[in-house]
Amino acid sequence: MDFEAGEIVALVGENGAGKSTLMNVLSGLYTPDSGEILIEGQPTRFRSPRDAIAREIGMVHQHFMLIPPLTVAENVVLGLEPRKRGLLDLTAARNAVQKTCQRFGFSLPVDARIEDLTVGSQQKVEIIKVLYRGARVLILDEPTAVLTPQECDDLFAVMRELAASGHTIILISHKLREVLAVAARIYVMRRGKLVAQVQGSASNERELAALMVGDARPSPSIGSAKRDRGELLLEIEDLHVPGAQEIPALRGLSLRIFAGEVVGIAGVDGNGQRELAEAITGLRPWTSGSIRFRGEKLRNPSPGELRHRRLAHVPEDRLSRAIIAPMTVEENIALGRDREPPFARKGLIDFAGRRERASRLLKEFDVRPPDAQARIGLLSGGNQQKVVLARELDLAPRLLVVVQPTRGLDISAVRAVHERLLLARERGAGVLLISLDLDEVLSLSDRIYAIFEGRITGELGRAEFDEKRVGRLMMGAERERPPRAPSANA
Amino acid sequence: MGMFPSLFRAALPSLLSIALALLVCFIAIAVSRSDLSIAANAYLQMLWGGLGDVPSFLGSGNWSLLTRAWGESAAKAALLTFTGLAVSVAFCVGLFNIGAQGQMTVGAIVAAVIGAKVALPAGLHPAVAIAGAAGAGALYALLPAVLKVRRGVHEVISTIMLNWVAVSLVENWLVVGPLRATASGDLSRSGTDEILPTAELPRLLGSLSRLNAGFPLAVLSAVGVWFWLNRTSNGFEARAVGLGMEAARTAGIDVRARVYQTMAFAGALAGIAGAVWVLGTEYKFPATLGAPYGFDGIAISLIGQNHPLGVGAAAIFFGVLRAGGTRMQLLGVHKSFPELIQGLALLFVAGRLIWDSVLRRSAKRAVPMAEVPRA
Repeated sequence: MDFEAGEIVALVGENGAGKSTLMNVLSGLYTPDSGEILIEGQPTRFRSPRDAIAREIGMVHQHFMLIPPLTVAENVVLGLEPRKRGLLDLTAARNAVQKTCQRFGFSLPVDARIEDLTVGSQQKVEIIKVLYRGARVLILDEPTAVLTPQECDDLFAVMRELAASGHTIILISHKLREVLAVAARIYVMRRGKLVAQVQGSASNERELAALMVGDARPSPSIGSAKRDRGELLLEIEDLHVPGAQEIPALRGLSLRIFAGEVVGIAGVDGNGQRELAEAITGLRPWTSGSIRFRGEKLRNPSPGELRHRRLAHVPEDRLSRAIIAPMTVEENIALGRDREPPFARKGLIDFAGRRERASRLLKEFDVRPPDAQARIGLLSGGNQQKVVLARELDLAPRLLVVVQPTRGLDISAVRAVHERLLLARERGAGVLLISLDLDEVLSLSDRIYAIFEGRITGELGRAEFDEKRVGRLMMGAERERPPRAPSANA
Repeated sequence: MGMFPSLFRAALPSLLSIALALLVCFIAIAVSRSDLSIAANAYLQMLWGGLGDVPSFLGSGNWSLLTRAWGESAAKAALLTFTGLAVSVAFCVGLFNIGAQGQMTVGAIVAAVIGAKVALPAGLHPAVAIAGAAGAGALYALLPAVLKVRRGVHEVISTIMLNWVAVSLVENWLVVGPLRATASGDLSRSGTDEILPTAELPRLLGSLSRLNAGFPLAVLSAVGVWFWLNRTSNGFEARAVGLGMEAARTAGIDVRARVYQTMAFAGALAGIAGAVWVLGTEYKFPATLGAPYGFDGIAISLIGQNHPLGVGAAAIFFGVLRAGGTRMQLLGVHKSFPELIQGLALLFVAGRLIWDSVLRRSAKRAVPMAEVPRA
């Protein structure tokens, strides 16, 4: 492969096609067994990321390499800290980072701690980090996976600008539409090999998808919109939930979910989606308002109690919240239900029962490799997510709360996840789908709520779906509900 | 079938560390005495001291030559096993229990009091004393766990400080104050009153050896901890909390309950160490606890790689070494060399990242070598 100065090149391929490995070689994390890297004609060997940075190659990783308790500025300058008389000069660091942010049009609170930022903002910090180091070749691994449409457009503008000023941008993405919109050339990889090179302007999604997987079936469609919805499962009234640093994240949110429907939450990242999911699933207490599950008012429910009532949860942050990487696939499947059959009998682990259930689920959900005893951390992201879904759906959930279920997954894994969600609905479950991917929300939901600044700004049935209108609601530009009447004791 | 090679591979860094520590100490002795044969002899004496004087036994057929040494080794091994488990069990839920010393101290004083002041029949008395010691150790370990969960106080800090609280309360006040032994006749005594004969741990070989029930109890405990962690749902949840606290919480596991329970369990094990020491070896709480078995537990846990059976094995090995170490003094070699070996082994295990990379590199090199003939 070759990359020229001043161009945006995309690298596409399914999970496990070798894109990340190749880029890890380029950024000095891995050393190749054979083959050559030439930079401006010079054969080069990177022994460490430091070597790569010295040759002005910088990588923005899909999984953040940030230190949560440090501030944005501290994270960005890490390794290249400005010094004054041998001491760390934090003011200079802060100013330099501020300047870098301004130069590239990023609005970031440089003094905020990473752990208090949304996933979307953390991604931006990663990008700023590389730019701060003066990289001329930027490798972006799934940079838009967590960005809002507006932020994506900003990012693309920045990418084009950087390219215009002579930078080389290497973009790894699963979102073919983005790739086509922004990349001049596209390399397609499959199973560790380069299978095609196409011009961005001369290709389309269908062709790319076909090249990547060898078949280009579209995602499942929703089917008939005429559906009977069942009982009222979840009723949230005037919910107030504090977020990070006690700043209110939900400010009087109300919504209802019925059995047998997929309800989507459309919103820009950081408008309370995370807190909403955490409140419903018992992970975050609320200060006022009520949540009723099947008519019964919940009071400080524990996640375990809710699971017992068959409320399943596919959390946003897979690696820290959904799976335990050093444990095996079957142990992860047993997680949370480890005291009941078939996973245990009389307090003892039922190894045969656990193996049998896990193997059955792995087959049913087409997890590869179908090895119940493999460490789940060694599986690809898509297969990890399939295991998580298998575990949650095996609960026969009444309500399924899914957050960003396809973030960073490849086409076939996305399709599998979507099919599963729709199947859960067919079986009568209510599904709450919280996603930053508007396409996903619009294509799967029977009904959507738009969320803005911790409140629902509008509710649309499937017949009324309109991307532009949803977009306006998400930006808080239009309010379709009458303002809440002040309560008597307020 | 596949279990043993993987166990061996897991144990390899520890085994190599111990071998290296033995080698370094050997050189240290040889250099300090500028005589290789003294070093070799000292190691031999240490071995016979720990395992029994095998050559003399073969000559005389006198079993007590072996059993006496076994008793000393087993007593030390039992204490190291319990304190080692106290550290490794806490580690399973991700907590670093530096407080085994304090938990052992409170356990020991409770066992001494129950042993001396409560009248019970022979079979029941040690059991009650051990249970009391376990309870005291558990409560004492629960304190840092509660501080951690409720207030976010780091357990390393709180357990270290609680060690000194325990030592001060017990050794500087109780043992020299309210619980001081009553003087009989002209003899003034140090420590607490001696325990009643009913409270003594039964000796397994009668007059042949001081080997007491503490050692089999320790072995059983190690197996029991292994069983709990690997075979029960409760142990599985504890491991899940240690390996992925957020994921465990999200999946509905009661994280707080598992942390409290496991830390109490760890403290109970350390408390039992105190009981076994009082009921099996000292028969009272002496003026001071003497050897810092609680701190040794940290080393044993790490050398045993936090695996209950590894902890048992490491405890037995260093129990033997230390019991045998006294015999090195016959040659004028200081008896603290076994502790030096233990310390060095810990240092080398702590550097296991280096072992791992060395082993990995040699494994990597092995692959291309197979391909060389073709090239």
